[in-house]
Amino acid sequence: MFDGTRDQTALVRMEGLHKSYGAVKVLQGLDIEMKRGDRVVVIGPSGGGKSTLLRVLMGLEKVDAGNISFGGRPYITVRNGKTVIDTEVRRSIGMVFQHYTLFPHLSVLQNLVLAPCKVNGEGTASAKARAQALLDRFGLGARAGAYPAQLSGGQKQRVAIARALMLDPKLMLFDEVTSALDPELVAEVEQVMLELAAQAMPMVIVTHDMWFARNIASRVIFCAGGVVVEDGPPEQVLGKPIHERTREFINRVFHIRA
Amino acid sequence: MDYVLDLGAVTRHFGPLLEGLWVTIQLTLAANAMGLVLGFAVALLVLSPVRLVRLPAVAFVEFFRCTPAIVQIVWFFYCVPMLFNLYLGSMTMGILALGLNLAAFNGEAYRAAIQAVPREQRDAAVALGLSPLQSTLHVILPTALRLAMPVLLTNGIVIFQQSALVAIVAVPDLMYEAKSLATKTYRPIETFTLVALVYFAVSFPVSQVVGWLERRRAVAMA
Ligand SMILES: Nc1ncnc2c1ncn2[C@@H]1O[C@H](COP(=O)(O)OP(=O)(O)OP(=O)(O)O)[C@@H](O)[C@H]1O
Ligand SMILES: [Mg+2]
Repeated sequence: MFDGTRDQTALVRMEGLHKSYGAVKVLQGLDIEMKRGDRVVVIGPSGGGKSTLLRVLMGLEKVDAGNISFGGRPYITVRNGKTVIDTEVRRSIGMVFQHYTLFPHLSVLQNLVLAPCKVNGEGTASAKARAQALLDRFGLGARAGAYPAQLSGGQKQRVAIARALMLDPKLMLFDEVTSALDPELVAEVEQVMLELAAQAMPMVIVTHDMWFARNIASRVIFCAGGVVVEDGPPEQVLGKPIHERTREFINRVFHIRA
Repeated sequence: MDYVLDLGAVTRHFGPLLEGLWVTIQLTLAANAMGLVLGFAVALLVLSPVRLVRLPAVAFVEFFRCTPAIVQIVWFFYCVPMLFNLYLGSMTMGILALGLNLAAFNGEAYRAAIQAVPREQRDAAVALGLSPLQSTLHVILPTALRLAMPVLLTNGIVIFQQSALVAIVAVPDLMYEAKSLATKTYRPIETFTLVALVYFAVSFPVSQVVGWLERRRAVAMA
């Protein structure tokens, strides 16, 4: 759909990622290389490690083995069993979660300017002006003074996306950002993500919405049992999967939705 | 029973009762100030990953939770002066005893609240590049305070009621004045009923506020 914007140099390279929670092995040697123009949708069975993959990529989890580089620079490495994270690289990645993302004690505008002001030392006036412009662009201009509790679920998620964009991320991660929403609110959030896609924002998206996956993905990765089972263009993975396991999953998911 | 109610017997001696109420309020406010601040420190210690820091704090909390308040107060009044050769005046001792008790209970309220801050909020703070200190200060603290508020208020009002216990160690609070008045006037029913009403009149509005906060919190956390 947005193939014109593809750039072929590697943005993220994950090699041999291993991660377990106690005895539960969640990631078991994950290798993914992501190009600058890629919009990767990750699908897979519940408990397959999709959220863990995103959380590792965001630098929120320790890993047992493996490494990640970002833009050719080492980002996450394991040294003597300890996970070392380059926090400067981490700051160029943004993430939106399924639940409770916004800070409830801060207004929409305050949510947006907190990190730019505290982390980057940006002036309040300039941050507020940028925040207002971003909110206007997302059709939320009138809600700048509202508190999260006064927003609909769809508005909250759009604010969360705007808040991440305030830091000019080079990569955006979305973990089932529409799963908790009422069906009629899903489209407004997906619309914002499609807009970002049109501007060639690199993204990794976890979603159960196969229609949306087909629309936004330049690449789909089917993840199960902590490894990449199938990786290819959406037409292949969602349409004519090569692997039996993928086919089973796709059939089941599309069957439920139909 | 031929007890004839005589409210005048009480109202004629309002002065000492009011003075007692004022002492009770001072005890309550001072103990709450102590409990709110010290309690937070206790929570941070209890949540420390370092055993040597955590264990004494846990012991402190469990001691106050697992012994009757009246025993704590009596112990404090009689044993602390003898053990540490420290006597600070009955009012100060009363405040310390009540304040330490409250610090233990508030510490638990803070701990639960800090742990109840959704993981996504800490994660969002990290994802936005906030340092651990910034995230504690700007994200976890405000949310935890808000979550703990109903319990902190409830604990505060419990201390207001528990403060009546210091009457037995001769702090001239509302209960103490009521006891002497009842003895002096032979009017226990009037006196103690009035005193009960005073405790109720202060506690009830606060407990209503707690209920309102809890309903509001249920909405705000969504
Ligand atoms: N903090 C944690 N502690 C212990 N186990 C965990 C933790 N987080 C995840 N797990 C386990 O790791 C496995 C993978 O979880 P993960 O959330 O990554 O799966 P998922 O693919 O995102 O699933 P879903 O589609 O349900 O969101 C699951 O078995 C889960 O129970
Ligand atoms: Mg998940």
